Amino acid sequence: MDVILLKLTALLYLLATGSFIVYVFLVRESISKLSPLILAVGFLLHTAAIGVHFFQTGYPNVTQFREALSLYSWVMVAGFLVVQFNYRLTILGSIIAPLAFMMTLAAFAFGAGSEKLPAGLKSYWLAVHVSLAFLGNAAFALAFGVSIIYLLQERHLKHKKMTRLMKRFPSLEALDRLNYVLLVWGFPFMTLGIITGSVWASIHWGDYWSWDPRLISSSIVWLFYGALLHGRITAGLRGRKAAVLTVFGFCVVLGYFLSGGLIFPSRHGGRFE
Amino acid sequence: MQKEIVIVGLNHRSASIEVRESVAFENAYVKDALVQLRAYPSIQEGVILSTCNRVEIVAAASDSQSACADIKRFLGDHRGHRIPGSLEEHVYTYEGRDAIRHLFRVAASLDSMVVGEPQILGQLKDHYDFARQAGTIGTILHRLFHHSFTVAKRVRTETGVASRVVSVSSVAVDLAKRIFDRFDDKTVMLIGAGKIGDLMARHLQSHGVQSLMITNRTFGRAAELAAKIHGSPIQFEDFPRYLKMADLVLGCTGSPEILVDAATVERVLRERKQRAMFFIDLGDRRNFDPQINDIDNAYLYNIDDLKEVAEENLQERSNEAEKAESIIHEEVLSFTRWISSLDQVPTITALRQRFDEIRRKEMERSLTGALKDLSPQQKEALEDMTNAMINKMLHSPISRLKRNTQSDDEEGTLYVDALKKLFDLTEK
Repeated sequence: MDVILLKLTALLYLLATGSFIVYVFLVRESISKLSPLILAVGFLLHTAAIGVHFFQTGYPNVTQFREALSLYSWVMVAGFLVVQFNYRLTILGSIIAPLAFMMTLAAFAFGAGSEKLPAGLKSYWLAVHVSLAFLGNAAFALAFGVSIIYLLQERHLKHKKMTRLMKRFPSLEALDRLNYVLLVWGFPFMTLGIITGSVWASIHWGDYWSWDPRLISSSIVWLFYGALLHGRITAGLRGRKAAVLTVFGFCVVLGYFLSGGLIFPSRHGGRFE
Repeated sequence: MQKEIVIVGLNHRSASIEVRESVAFENAYVKDALVQLRAYPSIQEGVILSTCNRVEIVAAASDSQSACADIKRFLGDHRGHRIPGSLEEHVYTYEGRDAIRHLFRVAASLDSMVVGEPQILGQLKDHYDFARQAGTIGTILHRLFHHSFTVAKRVRTETGVASRVVSVSSVAVDLAKRIFDRFDDKTVMLIGAGKIGDLMARHLQSHGVQSLMITNRTFGRAAELAAKIHGSPIQFEDFPRYLKMADLVLGCTGSPEILVDAATVERVLRERKQRAMFFIDLGDRRNFDPQINDIDNAYLYNIDDLKEVAEENLQERSNEAEKAESIIHEEVLSFTRWISSLDQVPTITALRQRFDEIRRKEMERSLTGALKDLSPQQKEALEDMTNAMINKMLHSPISRLKRNTQSDDEEGTLYVDALKKLFDLTEK
């Protein structure tokens, strides 16, 4: 049941991707409402898929890589829908929709069937820790999309090229502000995610901190985003540099999320195995 | 009786701004004027459209020629005395299909001074409302105006006409909008109190800019311009100190030397915590160091860049305009079809009546004459037979007529007109 729902979700994300592409490149105003709508329907199916899976297994679906991927894209799409509702940034969908599609598709690539959750991990801390960490990462994913658009717009302006694509983009000021807003939301979530993770670790592993690769990389990313936020607030770090750093930071997050477990074995769950 | 649409009016191409202003109908007066317009017997329905770029009277009339003459008389009576010379030389007229096309083009902003500007549709709707309140709108204009709103929407959504701008100063504003989200919290610095800078500053003000600094080598001129357009004048020697407050910097001096160099901009940006700056160089010689464009968060466009962008827009726009024209063409056809279908039903009824009349007269003559000895059954059979004959005879012309008005453009009205003439149906 949940697998069928997830397949339908992937299909709708693909449709949404197509419709965003039509919106962006063919400059068809008429589908500016349709594309987010398709994505929203996909999101509802996705919610159903995750819900069904949750009730079948009885725990949040994050311990396996494919489950984590699916949940991650779910939170990200939710984030986009919130941004879309408040800022009408339809163009951002053209980055988020294909990302969501690829992540749900990738979720299938890593096998079906759910294994039993290790007994030691069954705790409310899991839900809290994972929700916070994913919210933080979803905000960074959106900030990544916003930054990409910023860089494209900035390049067009510097090179004095007016294309149709550009007309789709919001102003640099608006993009930069949104990037900041997402960072301001994402960073506390990530911080709380790390704190709750650490508390949970102390319960199950017996220590708050261990030199586990996943934990180390999380701290590095946390420091990086912290420095970025600090720079923005105090030192006037904004515009192109801030956008480049945001893109870089997210690439680190994504890179570790996708391959970290392969390179450095870790006891932290939710990775490629 | 078929009604035709006529439009009599003048616009930015046919008349100067002075003439347009004196002919314009103030909003408060439009309804009274409409009632007076309607008093002319040739005018069945009417709308007055009056904006700063056009004054047009749209009417539905059975006799388009006398309607045009009456509208001209109406304009002359109301407005003729206000302008020197004759009104006639500024006025154009459109009838029938051309009038429909013209109104659709106006609604879609293809006839505007700045093609694609969005205000015209709202103005059209307002004036349509005035006419509705004044009671001078009937079936035809109601349908025509609503159709024109739909056309405008189609053109806006299906073509890029609305998203194009042309003039150099609107290109500059358009670019500024890609950098800045809003203008009301931005400050503009104008270096040099020349004509083009003045124009552009006003243009920016109309887009919401509130704070404006003006500097000029001769302080008097800066002060003069500042008083005129509500800016604050600053001494020429002092302007670098104020630079950090400016988000948009317009340079339009004839000065042969560079007034702002890249190092200054870098320093200013640091002081501004890297908030973006947009430099627009409007001078004949370069006022700003070209390297400014290489600095992060600083954007520099000179007059040639702006012209180039405007040129690109223009080229792109002509394609879009073609697309828009074909939409208009389609919609004009669909509207004419509707108008002629209005006429088709009464024509068909009149045709049937005419045939039936002849049949009854002839029946009566025969039944009281040579055939008066027929039995009631035979009389009834004769009645049925003649009826059937007429129905069979009329069947193919009528179905042909119905088909034509649905499917094709000119042919439909052609047949209706032909039938009316051949069977003398108009008098009925």
